[in-house]
Amino acid sequence: MAVAVDLSRSPSGSATQVVGFRTGNEMAALSAKQVNFHLMGYYPITPSTEVAEILDEMKAAGAHQIVMVPADGEHGAAGICFGAATGGGRVFNATSSQGLLYQLEELPVQSGSRYPMLLDIVTRTVSGPLDIRGDHSDLYYTLNTGWLIFTARDPQAVYDLNLIALRVAEHPEVRLPAIVAFDGFFTSHQKRRVYSFADDAIVQHWLGPVLEPVKALDPRRPVTIGPYMNDPDLINNKYQLERAMDAAGSAIPEVFAEYEALSGRHYDPVDLYRMDDAEVAVFLVNSAAQTAKDVVDRLRARGVRAGVVSPNVLRPFPAQAIKDVLRPVRALLIGERSSSYGAHGANLTHEVKSALQDDPANATICLSRVYGLGGRDFYAEDAEAFFSLAREAAESGTAEVPFDYYGVEPGDPTVALTRRRGTPPLTRQEVTSGLLHVAPGADGRLEVEAPPYWELATKPKRVVPGHGACPGCGIFPALDQFLRGIEGDVVVLYQTGCAMVVSTGYPYTSHRVTYVHNLFQNGAATLSGLVEVFHERVRRGELPADEDITFVMVTGDGGMDIGMGPAIGAALRRHGMIILEYDNEGYMNTGSQLSYSTPLGHLTSTSHVGPMELGKSFHHKDTPQIMAATNIPYVFTGVEGYPDDLVAKAAKAQWYAQYEGTVYGKVLISCPLNWKTEDRVGVEVVQAAVDSCFFPLYEVEHGITRLTYDPEPIGRRVPVADWLKLMGKTRHLCQPENGLTLAAIEAEIDRRWLRLKAKHENPLL
Amino acid sequence: MEPVGAGTTVVRTSQPSGGGVGSLPGVGEDGFFGIRFESIGGLGAHLAGKILAESVVLRQGLNGAHFSSYGSEKKGTPVKSFVRICAPEREVRTSSPVETPQLVAVFHEALAHSVDVAAGLSATGTLIVSTRKSPEAIREALHLRSGTVATLDALGIALQEKTRVNTAMLGAVARLCPIIDPEALKETLRASFAGRYAHLIDANLVTFDRGYREVQSTTRPAVPGDAARPVQRATPAFGYLDAPIGGAILDAGNSILRDLSTSRQGFIPALDLGACVHCGICDIVCPDLCFAWSDDGDGQPAVRLLGIDYRYCKGCLKCVDACPTGALTELREEEGWAEEHRVPLFPWLESRKGSE
Repeated sequence: MAVAVDLSRSPSGSATQVVGFRTGNEMAALSAKQVNFHLMGYYPITPSTEVAEILDEMKAAGAHQIVMVPADGEHGAAGICFGAATGGGRVFNATSSQGLLYQLEELPVQSGSRYPMLLDIVTRTVSGPLDIRGDHSDLYYTLNTGWLIFTARDPQAVYDLNLIALRVAEHPEVRLPAIVAFDGFFTSHQKRRVYSFADDAIVQHWLGPVLEPVKALDPRRPVTIGPYMNDPDLINNKYQLERAMDAAGSAIPEVFAEYEALSGRHYDPVDLYRMDDAEVAVFLVNSAAQTAKDVVDRLRARGVRAGVVSPNVLRPFPAQAIKDVLRPVRALLIGERSSSYGAHGANLTHEVKSALQDDPANATICLSRVYGLGGRDFYAEDAEAFFSLAREAAESGTAEVPFDYYGVEPGDPTVALTRRRGTPPLTRQEVTSGLLHVAPGADGRLEVEAPPYWELATKPKRVVPGHGACPGCGIFPALDQFLRGIEGDVVVLYQTGCAMVVSTGYPYTSHRVTYVHNLFQNGAATLSGLVEVFHERVRRGELPADEDITFVMVTGDGGMDIGMGPAIGAALRRHGMIILEYDNEGYMNTGSQLSYSTPLGHLTSTSHVGPMELGKSFHHKDTPQIMAATNIPYVFTGVEGYPDDLVAKAAKAQWYAQYEGTVYGKVLISCPLNWKTEDRVGVEVVQAAVDSCFFPLYEVEHGITRLTYDPEPIGRRVPVADWLKLMGKTRHLCQPENGLTLAAIEAEIDRRWLRLKAKHENPLL
Repeated sequence: MEPVGAGTTVVRTSQPSGGGVGSLPGVGEDGFFGIRFESIGGLGAHLAGKILAESVVLRQGLNGAHFSSYGSEKKGTPVKSFVRICAPEREVRTSSPVETPQLVAVFHEALAHSVDVAAGLSATGTLIVSTRKSPEAIREALHLRSGTVATLDALGIALQEKTRVNTAMLGAVARLCPIIDPEALKETLRASFAGRYAHLIDANLVTFDRGYREVQSTTRPAVPGDAARPVQRATPAFGYLDAPIGGAILDAGNSILRDLSTSRQGFIPALDLGACVHCGICDIVCPDLCFAWSDDGDGQPAVRLLGIDYRYCKGCLKCVDACPTGALTELREEEGWAEEHRVPLFPWLESRKGSE
C-alpha cells in the first residue's frame, strides 16, 4: 500500500525510501518481513496479535519466507524462539501483557545463554482484573531479565528501532536478545505517515549476515548448550552479561549514527525536547511524551521554560545522559504507566533518582506520578497538570507530595452498592425443576429421563440477557441449554475468552450464579482448588452439610490449547467438576486466529489463503479423544441447536461430577462473524458439521463409546463439501483447484469416523 | 450507551495551539481538522476512517492520523473512529481521541438515542446522520442551533446496491468536507478493493456517488454565544472509596440493566402469537435470551410464549429461521416499533429509575 508521493519533507538518508500510512503493528510486521527472519514463534494476545496476522497474510502472498510457528501458548512460543536461536536462526516474536508474563521465565534463559533475538512488546496492562488496554505494567517485568530494551514512541520509531535493536543485539561484543516496546493501541493501532526502505535488500545489507554464536546445528563441532552451573561459576556468567550491557551502551550510539546515515532519522538514547534551557521538565515513556511535547510548545509561547525527557533505551539505562540533561532543571515530574506497589514510586522513578544521586552538583526536585493505568488516555491537559506540579515544586523549592497517583477518583460510598442491582439470588427450588431423573442402568451406563425441551423453558436461566456477544453467537444458547440440564446450585469458572469478556464487562455481569475467572490456561487448576476447598470446608463443618454445588468450568477451544496441561492434570486427579468447552474453531476473542481445533484448510487471521498458503496447514485437534485417554468417567460432544441431546448429557455430566470425578464435554457452536456467514444460519451450519461426520455426537462413559446420533442409517449423511460451502472461511475449499486439500479433509474425517464407529460397536475399543 | 464501564460526564478540555506551523482552512484551535465516526461494530466505520485518512495522506499529500476506539466488546456494540487531518509539515503527536471534531458522521441512527453523538462538535461544525429523516428533523431532535446538519438514507442505498453503509457515508463526508478531494478518495476506495474484492469495486463506487449526491444538508450560522457542544468522557463506574475490593461485581445478573437495542442493524423479528404453537425452538436458538414465557395457563400448568423483550434483541434473526410455523418474521425496523411491541422479561425493572 505504500505509495511514493511527493512530500515536502522527504527523508535525507542515503537509502531510497517510500512513504506509507501505517500503524505500529503494521510497521513491526513490515520491518520483520524486510529482515526476512528465519522464524517467528508466536501466540495470539491483544494488542500484539496483528503483527503475526499481517506477517501470515504477507507470507500467503509470497512476500517473505519466515517460518511462522503458532505455539500452544506464549511459554511454548518463547521455547520455539529459543530453540531456533540456538540453531543460528534470526528469530522474532511479539507479545503483550499476560503473554509476556507467561513466557517470562524463558527471557533470562535466552539472555543468560546469550542468544540474540528480537521481541516486540506491544504494551498492555497486566491482569487482574483483566484489562486489554495499554499501560507499561507488562514491560516493567522485563527490566531485570538481561535483555536490551528499546522504547518506540510512534509507528516510525517501531520500524526504526526494530532494525536498530536487532543490529545492536547481534553486535559481536553484545550478543544479547532485544525488546522493542511500543504502546498498545495508542501506537500499535494508530495509523501515521511513515517511511520505510524501498527494498528489503537495503535492510538485509545493513544488518549483514546473522551472527552465529555457539550453535546447535554443527555435528562436527558438538557443544553443550545450557549446562548445570552452580556457584562459584554462575556469578561470572552474570558478570559477562553485565559487561555485555556496558558494551551495548557503547555500541548503541554508533548504530544510531549509522542508521541516521542510512535513513536520515536521528535517535539518541534519550530523546530531549526543548531541554536546552528548561527549568521544569517531565520524564515520560513512549506515546505520552509526544502529547507532552505539544504542551511544551504552548507553555513556551507563554514564557515557561519547559521540556520533555523521554528514553529511547531503557536497558542499558542511559544514566549519564539523564544526569547531564537534568543538572540545570529545577523540578522534574516522572510520570509512569506502571507501579511498584509499596516502593513509593515506580521503577523508573528510582532509576532516574539514582542517576541524579550520583551527581553532587544536582539539585533537581523529583516528583513521581503513576498515571494512565489500564490504558486511560493521556490528554494534553494531563501533561499540563504534570507541568503545573513541577512548576509548583520549582517555585516552592520542595516536593510537597513526592509520590502519588494521578487521575484516580474517590467515588461516592453513600450510593454505590445498590445502584446497579440485578436479579435476585435463585432459590434452590427455582433451579430444581424435578423433571430430570438420572439413575445407573443395568449395563453400567446412566439412564436419563428428561422432559421435552419446551417444558424447561420457564426454568430460570443462570445466564441472563444483556451480555455483549455478537449477533447470532452460538455460545449462550449452548451454555443455556447445558445449564438447563443441571439441577440445583451451580458455581461456574470461565477461562479468558469470548464468553468471559462479553458477560462480565465491568460493572455488569450476566451471571446469575457465582462466577470466577482465571487466566486463559489455568481454569481447570483453579476450579480444582475451589472444588477441594468446598469439600474440605463441608467436612470441617464450616459450610452446611447439605450444601450441594455443581462446579462447571467453561472454556473456548483456545483455552483447551494453552490450558491442555492443567485440564489433563485436573482430569487425572479426578476432581468432581465439569469442563465444558465451546468450540468455535478458533481464537475468536482476539480476532479469529487459528486454534489447534481449526480444521485443515480453514481461513483464519493466522492461516490465510493465497498463492503460498491454503488456510490452516494441519488437522484439527481431537480433544474429546485426548480427554477420554485420561480415563475420566464421562466424555461427551454436543452442538448448539440440539437441546434434547445436550440436556441429557448435562444431566449425566452432573451425576458423574457429583459421584465419580471429572467430566469433559465439547460443544460445537457457531461464530457467524469469523465463520463468515450470515448471523442467522448458525444452527444450519453446525447441523451440516454433524451430518458430514466432521463433528460426531457421541459419549464415552466409563471408557465405552456410544454414538448418540448417527446420520448414516437415517440417510442424513452429507458430503463434507456441503458443510464447507456454507461458510465464507471455507468456500475456497470447494473450488476444483483445491481438491487435494478437500480430499485430505475428507480422508481424515472418514478415518476418525470409522474408528469411532468401531468403538461404538465394540465396548472393548 | 457507552461501551462497558459506565456513564459519561462533561469535562473541560484545553487544546494545544497549532504551534505556528502551516494550517489548513477550517481546522480547530489545535491545528487539526478532526473527524469522528459514530457507529456500531460491523458497519465498517473503522475501514471508512482508514480509507479516508489514507487518501488524505497518501493521495492529497496532507498529514493525518487514524484510529478507532477499542475494547473487547463485539460486533454490534458502539464504536468510534477518529481521523485527524493537518498541514503536511505538521507532525501528529497526540494519540488521544478526537473530542472536539469539526465533522461527525453517525453511521447508525439509533445511537443518537443513547449517546450525544454530537458531543464536542464545533458551533460551525458538520453533523451527518444516516437516516430517512430530514436534516431539520435531526437538527431539532439533537438541539443543534448552528452549523451544518446533513442526512442520507445510507442503509437504504447500501441495501439497494448490495454494499455497506460505510461507503455511502464516505460519499456524504466527501461532499461536506471541503478538505477532502472526492476523486482521490474514490481512487483510494478502488485501490483498497483491488485484488480479492475487485468484483465489489463498481457497486462501491456507485454507492459512494449516491452518498455524495443524495446527502441533503442545511446550514445555520453560529450566532454570538454559540459554543461547541460539551465534550463527553467515560467515567469510572466506581471510585477507590466505593468500588468493591478486588474488583468483584456484587450484583448478580445486573446486565439486565443494559439496553442492547442499538446493536440491531435495521432488522427485527416480529412475532404473531396467533400462529405460535409454543414449541420453544425460538428460545433454544436465541443468543440473547430475550423470549418471555409464562407457565400459568389458566390454572393449568402450561408453558406459553408471551413475546420478545427487544431491549436485549440484537436482531440476528436466528429465531425467524428456526420458527416452524412462520409466527416469527423479519421486519425492517422503524423507530418506536420495538418499544411498542416489546414484552418485558423483567417487568419490575420498568418502574425502577436509572436503568443504563
